Amino acid sequence: MLKHLFILIWNKKKQNSLLLTEVLVSFLVLFAVFTLLVFNYRNYSKPRGFEYSNVWVANFNNDLGTTNGDSAAMFYDNLRRNMLSLPQVKAVCFTNANTPFSGNTSQTGFPYKGKDVRSINYYLAEDSYKDALQLHLLEGRWFAKNEGAAKNKPIVINNKLKTELFGTGKALGQLVGDDKNQMQVIGVVEDGKYTNEYMPAGKAMYVRPDTSEYHWMGTAMIRVAPGSDAAFEGRLYKLMANTMKNANIEITHLEDKRKSANNTTLVPVIILGTVSGFLIINVALGLFGVLWYNINKRRGEIGLRRAVGATGNGISGQLVAESLLLATLALLVGIFFAIQFPLLNVLDLPTGVYLWALLFAIVFIYALVLVCSLYPGKQAAAIYPAVALHED
Amino acid sequence: MLINYFKIAIAVLKRRKFFTFISLFGISFTLTIMLVLAAFITKVVGDNYPDKKRDRCLYINHIELCGPNSMNGSGLSFYFLDHYARSIATPVKIAISSSSAGTNTYVNNKKIAVNYKYTNADFWDVLDHEFLEGKPFTAQQIANGEHVTVISEDMRKAYFGNATSVTGKYIEADNVQYRVTGVVKNIPSTLYMLYSDIYLPYTVSKRDYNDKGYQGGYMGILLAESKSDLPKIQKEFSQMVARLPLPDKQYDHINCTAGTFINAIVNTGNEKHSGLSVAITALAVFTLFVMLLPTLNLVNINITRIMERSSEIGVRKAFGASSGALVQQFLVENLILTLLGGLIGIVFSAIILAVINHMEFIPNLELSINYMVLIIGLVICLVFGLVSGVYPAWRMSRLNVVNALKAQ
Repeated sequence: MLKHLFILIWNKKKQNSLLLTEVLVSFLVLFAVFTLLVFNYRNYSKPRGFEYSNVWVANFNNDLGTTNGDSAAMFYDNLRRNMLSLPQVKAVCFTNANTPFSGNTSQTGFPYKGKDVRSINYYLAEDSYKDALQLHLLEGRWFAKNEGAAKNKPIVINNKLKTELFGTGKALGQLVGDDKNQMQVIGVVEDGKYTNEYMPAGKAMYVRPDTSEYHWMGTAMIRVAPGSDAAFEGRLYKLMANTMKNANIEITHLEDKRKSANNTTLVPVIILGTVSGFLIINVALGLFGVLWYNINKRRGEIGLRRAVGATGNGISGQLVAESLLLATLALLVGIFFAIQFPLLNVLDLPTGVYLWALLFAIVFIYALVLVCSLYPGKQAAAIYPAVALHED
Repeated sequence: MLINYFKIAIAVLKRRKFFTFISLFGISFTLTIMLVLAAFITKVVGDNYPDKKRDRCLYINHIELCGPNSMNGSGLSFYFLDHYARSIATPVKIAISSSSAGTNTYVNNKKIAVNYKYTNADFWDVLDHEFLEGKPFTAQQIANGEHVTVISEDMRKAYFGNATSVTGKYIEADNVQYRVTGVVKNIPSTLYMLYSDIYLPYTVSKRDYNDKGYQGGYMGILLAESKSDLPKIQKEFSQMVARLPLPDKQYDHINCTAGTFINAIVNTGNEKHSGLSVAITALAVFTLFVMLLPTLNLVNINITRIMERSSEIGVRKAFGASSGALVQQFLVENLILTLLGGLIGIVFSAIILAVINHMEFIPNLELSINYMVLIIGLVICLVFGLVSGVYPAWRMSRLNVVNALKAQ
């Protein structure tokens, strides 16, 4: 049976090679789109790792007029105290520009057991950072007031960095970094998706700023009480502007930034999805038309088969099987190309993403071909042998 | 002859309506995507408000300090533009403006986000902003450090409501009161180099604009006397940059060029990979992605339709029509089909553009189908028609007369 179908396909190889190419290209397009969708969905379904609502971010370019670290730290401590005296302000922390959804990154690396660990997001985190973002602590503890006395610089890392450094082993109390600059892990927090909710969380370490770093800070994260309005924001703005006389200040809401950060991923996906949706409709119509025409041309052959005893279901089954076999041939070639992505690790995505995308694309193509060949097949089954043979 | 082809083409289109529908659907949808894309690109790249003298301008928006192990890229300092860029012999005027940054203002318990830009006086001469009322601030006002501002139409509406004359009134931004001297027509945010809600004199900047470093948050536009001066200016500018003393031992050269508008908007700040080639590659890949499947589909459909007409072709061949004539006929028929699809595509894209404009995805960006877009559409149609017609036409011309006639 299968051999027979192959012969039928081979006999019309010119026409079928074009159909095959079309199915192959459709498959590759679908594979690309599904890879993107699966990747984004998997990231989206993971927990965010922090709470964005009611967090305001103030950016300022403050010129303190001093290079003294202690007085800079004191200045910001003072500002924080004034801000906290407003009843709606729950937590204030000063940090670098790499706040969630800001698009800014600051990365670093350190050696661990002779291996260079790179691309670690570096967050300057004051004691109040955890409360401002409501980070979820998984193990150990967050920074405390008397941290400065410790011999090794204490750091908090996220789960992803923990897995890369220690695997399933113990993280707390471990020393990382080179001899000159040793750091001790005191806590592990849940991964935070800082880029946007559709992108994976990066490796991260949180480090307590020492006084020399306050000089360069230009961002404050402020957790406010739910329902704080623009009138209050105006008051807060005035308070900051009157303290930092030489600064341009901008207050944004993490909630708004989340929307625009998500859009940087969502908008291209939606555009690409719509375009490929139309492409697939286009292909489906074309496939349907060509199959339909082919079957009409084979009325003589079909009539003859009916005359020698083939059932209607047998005929339509054969035609559908022929189309599916053709799709399988295209898929085999397509899978050969697609499988190179996980094998060669081209785009640095997890293998699971590719496999799911591959599965979805295969199922989709089969479904498409099946739907497009069912109606022509059914029509062929309705051919009366007497009429068909009479025509010839 | 052409009229005959046309008649035949229409007759064929009418015969198998389903196939006609599929072909037209594929063509018009492909063209719609390409036209919307073209409308967007020609708008962003080609719209010359407010820099109407674009062909006489060179843009400086990025400087890079490079060393063997380090690279530090950013905008330029005011001092660099005002002192070094001005020092070259040829240009007439140099517009200097800071990259737009955000701040807030609060009116009647409502928050307004404000983009602000610091500019010099030449900024208003080099660029041709359309003033709805008032006028730009003057060099004298800048020198005096007066708190004056030019605001955009949108800003006027957001801050003052529906008032039509606000010149002389005060607007508060960044905790400072500024007197409005003029209101200009809106600029879409896609023109990110020039977009702003309020424009302020650089002398009221809270930062020190006399800092002698090369890097900072400013960009410059050099306006030449005539277009022919541009290559000379570019050369002089590069020579000036090459002579600059290096600020630090870790750097061995400075990379900063005065480029045309296109080069400036896609400037990635990397001297090795020009932003323009990245943009063109991305565009080409997308075009291929959109065009490949419909073309294949059309080829498939065309072949099917030709086989259907084998008797007609057989008769024509039997009466002495050459292969060339048949290929020509089929290509013309296919072009008529694609142009018809193109017309439908133009209607679709007009609808989609109207929807996009109505929904204001990007404020102040009024997309439209202009001559440029139509020409692009026509070229795409022709390419599409030829590519999808050549192979089927070739197959048709090779049909064997005897077989073709016998098939019926």
